[in-house]
Amino acid sequence: METINKMTGSDNILIKSGTVFEPSKGKEIISDILIENGIIRIIDKNINIDVKDESLLKIKKNSNGLSKELVVLNCQNCFIFPGFVDMHVHLREPGNEEEEDIKSASGAAFKGGITSIASMPNTNPPIDKEYLLEYILNKSRLIDFRVYPIAAMTKNLEGKEMTEIGLLKEAGAVAFSDDGKCIQDSKLMYEIMKYASNFDMPLILHEEDYSFSNFGLAHEGYYSTKLGLDGISVLSEELMISRDIMLAKMARAKIHITHVSSKGSVSLIKRAKEEGLRITCDVTPHHLYFNDSFLESYDTNLKINPPIRSEEDRIALVNAISEGVIDAIASDHAPHCETEKNTTFKDAVNGTIGLETLFSASYTKLVKKEKIKVSKLLDLLTSGPAKILNIKAPELKVGAKADITMINLEKNKKIIKEDFCSKSKNSAFIGQILYGEVLYTINNGKLVFASENC
Amino acid sequence: MKMLSTKNVISIDDLSIDDINIIMENADSFGEVLEREFKKVPTLRGKTIINLFFESSTRTRTSFEIAAKRLSADLINFSASTSSLKKGESIIDTIKTIRSMMIDMLIIRHSDSGVMNFIAGNIDVPLINAGDGKHQHPTQALLDLYTIKKSFKNLKGLKVAVVGDILNSRVARSDIKLFKRIGMDVKIVSAPMLLPENIDYFESDYIYDIDKIIKDIDILYMLRMQFERQDRKYYPSIREYNRFLSINVGRLNKMKKGSLIMHPGPVNRGIEISENVMNQGENYIGFKINSQVANGVAVRMALIYLMLGSN
Repeated sequence: METINKMTGSDNILIKSGTVFEPSKGKEIISDILIENGIIRIIDKNINIDVKDESLLKIKKNSNGLSKELVVLNCQNCFIFPGFVDMHVHLREPGNEEEEDIKSASGAAFKGGITSIASMPNTNPPIDKEYLLEYILNKSRLIDFRVYPIAAMTKNLEGKEMTEIGLLKEAGAVAFSDDGKCIQDSKLMYEIMKYASNFDMPLILHEEDYSFSNFGLAHEGYYSTKLGLDGISVLSEELMISRDIMLAKMARAKIHITHVSSKGSVSLIKRAKEEGLRITCDVTPHHLYFNDSFLESYDTNLKINPPIRSEEDRIALVNAISEGVIDAIASDHAPHCETEKNTTFKDAVNGTIGLETLFSASYTKLVKKEKIKVSKLLDLLTSGPAKILNIKAPELKVGAKADITMINLEKNKKIIKEDFCSKSKNSAFIGQILYGEVLYTINNGKLVFASENC
Repeated sequence: MKMLSTKNVISIDDLSIDDINIIMENADSFGEVLEREFKKVPTLRGKTIINLFFESSTRTRTSFEIAAKRLSADLINFSASTSSLKKGESIIDTIKTIRSMMIDMLIIRHSDSGVMNFIAGNIDVPLINAGDGKHQHPTQALLDLYTIKKSFKNLKGLKVAVVGDILNSRVARSDIKLFKRIGMDVKIVSAPMLLPENIDYFESDYIYDIDKIIKDIDILYMLRMQFERQDRKYYPSIREYNRFLSINVGRLNKMKKGSLIMHPGPVNRGIEISENVMNQGENYIGFKINSQVANGVAVRMALIYLMLGSN
């Protein structure tokens, strides 16, 4: 009941005794944060919480004299982070609302500490016209969920004709992608790159040479042989990255390689960055967390494209994070209904949901296991993706809009299917023990998520 | 009575060496039963087994059927072509339907690798994998081992060449793994197009020309070209195949005395094995293709009996 009360009149919020990162000072400090009318007003070591206390009333009067109820969130043992940005989300609306919709995705995002997302255009119909883009923008504005739509690069995602990139940008597209598919026609890809660079629009590229991936079900290696699953060679991804690096160099385009999965891909991107190309990339938590030995169970939630690769590839991805080659971590949240997953490995569709485990899976693997700094992880979940999409990342500073998430980093739990609030439950992480439980999320100044354990 | 260490036989790796030895011993006993005039024992009377074949098969399905009937179990054939699968029923619903029928054992063949693991998670009766996609075919490996045991006293160090389409073969995955565990020396004779990219799993050397090993081997195991599992033509031509990977009369004559020729069947005549060898095979004592089929019944009787007999 307390949770419900907190969730309603919640424009004024006082966060008590949370741990805040001071990136400039490189240290953690215990702090309180006062949010009023959706804006961070005070960040200070000790803001008096007693509502009867005169000093607090003074604060209230000072800020436009509003006197709404004040919600106090006790955040001892919690880290206070700016809301995360997930730059790769499949909303399934319009067209497949039985799997997910904008509203249910917002619930899943808030539960994962995410307050901004970029949506992929492979809906039904695909987002290749302005009115479709406006539909997404209007629907998400109505529920106060910050969705940055990515529009299709080609009409109907067919890889044949370029979309109206200029008009779509004016309608609000932040980037262009045919995600889920890869344009096989190199000349068309080159033309799209040249045209998009006029508008300084990033192209988000799913890299796959179909002649190498066709009929494939799993990473081509020891386990695909053992399990009798047709292999997907790393060459499928690496050939297309090589091609697109060459094209982007010539076209002076801004390209972003999404869900990078292999060691070779990382080294290609690293070299292109060193050459000064405008190239960025992201990696998913599941490619950082799993290797192909997990496929021995034939768990269809681990059937993903690009496939979960070998331990050698996984280590290369982790190292690429330490070396700064990776610019963002993104979930590739891909909801699918049960009938599409509860079948044989071959018949099952690709994808895992990921909004609710974006932080916990990354934190568990990168920080707990691999000893990467929390501040590094934070960059990859906030300023990193924001910079790629040229959008504003949430920040913890006075005067900023309050997009905040509070996380107990020491708390762990075993992930079970019933935990998910996404409409679909196809998580690769079911059965895993993950650290870092989101206790509260504040979106645009409103408390939108509070864990049942609060 | 001794029991197996596993409830399901999905992969050959599910069976311990002890399990395999018990199966071999029991196969000997059942082999004797099969030579009697009255070829039936009452051991599994009242037990119901479903032969669930999602993929076409003659010899394996019939072999399991005979094995079950010789043990007096009631065996019902359920094949995909006559079932409601054609009406669009999903595999999970088919399994749930069968689950409601109170059966004692399921024998399954399916074209998708790993399907047994999926089914095992949805039904609580002992399962035997009769072949799943390109993954495993454990009873083939058992009957092959049994056939080899009948010809050789000492199995350790036997030189085996497994020849042909490894990429698409579940028989290769089960047999090579088992042969290696027994201590045999396995060579793979194939071509890159017919091999998975990574062959570390087999822990065996690879050569491309059968002539390089034909004189030295004890067992020549020819795999079937799996045309039904090839999404495109993998090999340039039959001429090329015959040159590097087939057994013909010339090569047969080079083989050691006492060596065996084996094939899981059905043979593509003129591809893996030449017409002449097929026709003259009966006269050659090491030509084991028909013995493999005969031994299959005894080995499957042993396996079903050990999995069901005690409870």
